[in-house]
Amino acid sequence: MNEKADVKQGTLALMVLKTIETLGPLHGYGIARRIEQTSGDLLSLNYGTLYPALLKLEQEGYLASEWGVSDNNRKAKFYKLTRTGRRQLEKETRNWEQTTAILARFLAGAEEPL
Amino acid sequence: MKSLRAWLNRFTGIFSNQLREQEFAAELEGHLQLHIDENVRAGMTPAAARRDAILKLGGLEPTRQAYRERGTLPFLETILHDVRYSIRGFRRNPVFTLTIVATLMLGIGATTAVFSVVDRILFRPLPYAHADRLVSLGLVQSLETQEFMLGRFYYDWRGAQKAFGSMTAENAVTGECDLTERNPAQLSCPYVEASFLPTLGISPVLGRNFLPEETRPGGPNVALISYGLWLTHYNLDPGILNKTINIDGSPVRVVGVLPKEFEMPRLQAADVLLPIAVNETEDRTANGGFGSPRRVFARLNPGVSVQQAEAELQPLFQQTLSQIPSDIRHDFHLKVRSLRDRQMQDVSLTAWVLLGAVLTVLLIACANVASLLMARGAMRQRELAVRSALGASRSRLARQALTESVLLSLMGAIAGCALAEGLLRLFIAIAPTSIPYLSKIHLDLRIICFTVILAILSGVLFGLAPALQKPSDAMLSGRTLTSTSHATMRQWLVVAQIAASMVLLTGATLLLRSFRNLEDQNLGMSTDNTLTASITLGEHSYPTPQSKLNFYQQLTTRLRFGPGITLVSVSDTIPPGGGGLGGRFEEIAVAGRPLFTPGTGGVVASRLVSPEYFRALNIPMVQGNGFREEDMTASQRPIVLSKRLASLLFPGQNPLGQRLRFDRLMSTEAWSTVVGVAADVKNSGLTKEEVPEYYRLRRNLPGDWECCGTWGRTSVIVVRSSLPPDQTARWIRMQVATLDPTLPVDIATLHQRVSKLADQPRFQALLIGFFAATGFALAIIGLYGVIAYSVSQRTREIGVRMALGAQRACVYQLVLKEGARLAGWGIAAGIACSLAATLLLRSILFGVQSWDVATLATVAIVLAAASLLASYIPAHRAASINPVEALRAE
Repeated sequence: MNEKADVKQGTLALMVLKTIETLGPLHGYGIARRIEQTSGDLLSLNYGTLYPALLKLEQEGYLASEWGVSDNNRKAKFYKLTRTGRRQLEKETRNWEQTTAILARFLAGAEEPL
Repeated sequence: MKSLRAWLNRFTGIFSNQLREQEFAAELEGHLQLHIDENVRAGMTPAAARRDAILKLGGLEPTRQAYRERGTLPFLETILHDVRYSIRGFRRNPVFTLTIVATLMLGIGATTAVFSVVDRILFRPLPYAHADRLVSLGLVQSLETQEFMLGRFYYDWRGAQKAFGSMTAENAVTGECDLTERNPAQLSCPYVEASFLPTLGISPVLGRNFLPEETRPGGPNVALISYGLWLTHYNLDPGILNKTINIDGSPVRVVGVLPKEFEMPRLQAADVLLPIAVNETEDRTANGGFGSPRRVFARLNPGVSVQQAEAELQPLFQQTLSQIPSDIRHDFHLKVRSLRDRQMQDVSLTAWVLLGAVLTVLLIACANVASLLMARGAMRQRELAVRSALGASRSRLARQALTESVLLSLMGAIAGCALAEGLLRLFIAIAPTSIPYLSKIHLDLRIICFTVILAILSGVLFGLAPALQKPSDAMLSGRTLTSTSHATMRQWLVVAQIAASMVLLTGATLLLRSFRNLEDQNLGMSTDNTLTASITLGEHSYPTPQSKLNFYQQLTTRLRFGPGITLVSVSDTIPPGGGGLGGRFEEIAVAGRPLFTPGTGGVVASRLVSPEYFRALNIPMVQGNGFREEDMTASQRPIVLSKRLASLLFPGQNPLGQRLRFDRLMSTEAWSTVVGVAADVKNSGLTKEEVPEYYRLRRNLPGDWECCGTWGRTSVIVVRSSLPPDQTARWIRMQVATLDPTLPVDIATLHQRVSKLADQPRFQALLIGFFAATGFALAIIGLYGVIAYSVSQRTREIGVRMALGAQRACVYQLVLKEGARLAGWGIAAGIACSLAATLLLRSILFGVQSWDVATLATVAIVLAAASLLASYIPAHRAASINPVEALRAE
């Protein structure tokens, strides 16, 4: 498959939150790489778009950040989930599952003749 | 919640911009390093690794841009940027900025101040429930032009009418009463019916209204006191209820306190409200068979208009007329008008004139701002073209222009509010007491909002216009193109400005001339070195005519021996105010002649005077000797006629020795003999023509002091002295205080009293003068701006002309002609508008016609001269253009 899917509107934040929940405190580059790998390289992600999203999540209080040092001794900013962030993640996950379930049912129904 | 938090973060982000960007730069750098490290590990060269990293990021600058936009509020950021840019622009061009701000300040300041005054007068809500349904009604006649009623008719009307929900009355004259307690004071005490407060829709803040039994003769003595009296005398103590206070020596129980904002419908002072306690059946035959005089107010039924009410009252009025003696019947008319009209009477015209004047000034100011902004816009066409070429969108340019206009308007508005506050204080200081509520006026928030919005609108409208035009590429070429549409528009604006200021100047000049005429007119008496003291004796302390007579006799005797005092006279009133008790000409009966036919003559003024009166006021006696000292005790009552009355009564005859009687209906009155004819005196106020007048001697007999309510208890003492007025005033006060320390004395020089009558015209003339000067200045600035701009646009053209041999004089002529053309159109339009506008002023003008050629000509010449002067400055600049430089420029 040559064509990579664009990141759907509103899903990037969920991916970021989930990634951090799974891996613990992580820097921007790490998050970007992880999202790419998890998607099985199916997603085309401009790493640059990650940073405004991170800033937005931080402004909304779901993430906190602090400077640290990476495995290979590079200075980097590490993001971690806050308590409200964890709650938001649960909520968003539930929402998303619901949406996909509904959509799946629709698509399944559409294939069957009436 | 979360979005609010994010917004807050972004808002504060505006101010920590640099810090965040530095941090992000570090973060981005870290990101790239991590990526490069990994790429290198994967076998790329460092350069390729970096290239790939940046490519994967989506570019460095777009990332920074996206991050920055998320970090702050881009919209606000732009505004801040625009504000900073505008302020830099203002600093670069302080004259332009100051002119606009000053113009707006004048416009907003004057409008706000005047609106605050006028709003109170014309539009304020009256402090009554559904005040729009309250009316004042009654009869009017030549002797009393304010509607009144007589008891008998009032009871008939009240019983039979259907137009009103309720009808109520107060006594026609509000008298003084004395609070005779530990802290004695002379108070104002209106008598009202029990239905008075309910009809007005007022309930006491404490206690209750009068009960029916309290309005019957012999009922309990009760009173309602004003909030002011409650505050000053009883410290707002609620215990005042049912307490007994002493009024005029008798105990009166306080049953209620009036609301703070309460005012009598006729706006007279009211410290204590007392119930009218009469037996209506008896009152019908009191006062010569007509009942006691009243002022009547009523509440219209819903849906009934004043005109309808008047029409419905007509049958009752006709019935009343049939009961009035036939010889004076024709003089009575019915008058029904809204309470607001009753209160505003002649002030409302002043208020409308002021409003008109100030709106004109505001228009001129807005036109000036518009014109200045347009000129600026035209001059910035190149700048706009450059910015547009560099990629600024039209909306971005418009936003910039908008920011600038709003900033200017705001600065003007703030300065304007400060000016308005100052002006308002000035108005209150110089306003005559006859303008109601002035002391209660303050800057109204609504009014400030109104003017500020107006200013912003005018700024925005005209500031935006140039920015909205798509800058054409031609402007980039460096040639300044005259934007002809703007130039024409500005010229029209200037013409309108000149016309408007012409109207203002004409109005102001007329009012000033009218005021001068008032001040300079011959009063028929001399006001120099004359001091007057007005004293009202309380009914309680001076119950009998004899006691009044004694008081004044003692006082005049004491005053006569005062230092420097040459003359002392006592009279019931003094000119130029009208006499207290006038009469109808037709009521004069001359011995040995048939009576006059009813309806002839008009009003006659009368005064009760002492023999020194004529000398004290320097009124010459044209015939006869006037009153003599020995007449003071004589049984015969002599009389002095004014020259006018003498010529009316005895044309071509000698009036001396003739015998007259007044009020021919009362034939019991003794005949009076004419002993003198005095020169005419201004006796109907300053603006009206003098009416015929007669003087009666007030003898030292109790009978001559027996009179008529408050009027009979007030006397004016005129003192002529060689000492300075304040010294004499102190002496008079001292003498009055020795006789009765509680008695208030109102002392003023005669000159002050006369000048007080001219207060209102002075106020009008001053204010309109101020506005006219403001409008004039603004219009001239506007004209100057247009001409100067046009000269700057035509620099090259003028340079070419001069290079081709045009003389300096020609250049002068070229520029001046343009100014003269605009001024000419403006003045022509102004004359037309003035003719229409000054018609409105006709009724407040004295001794000047509203279509006064001299005034119009003067104003036109002044405007023309000022316009030429305003064009001369740019003309001079044009004439000193160096052709070589002008051609080389650009």
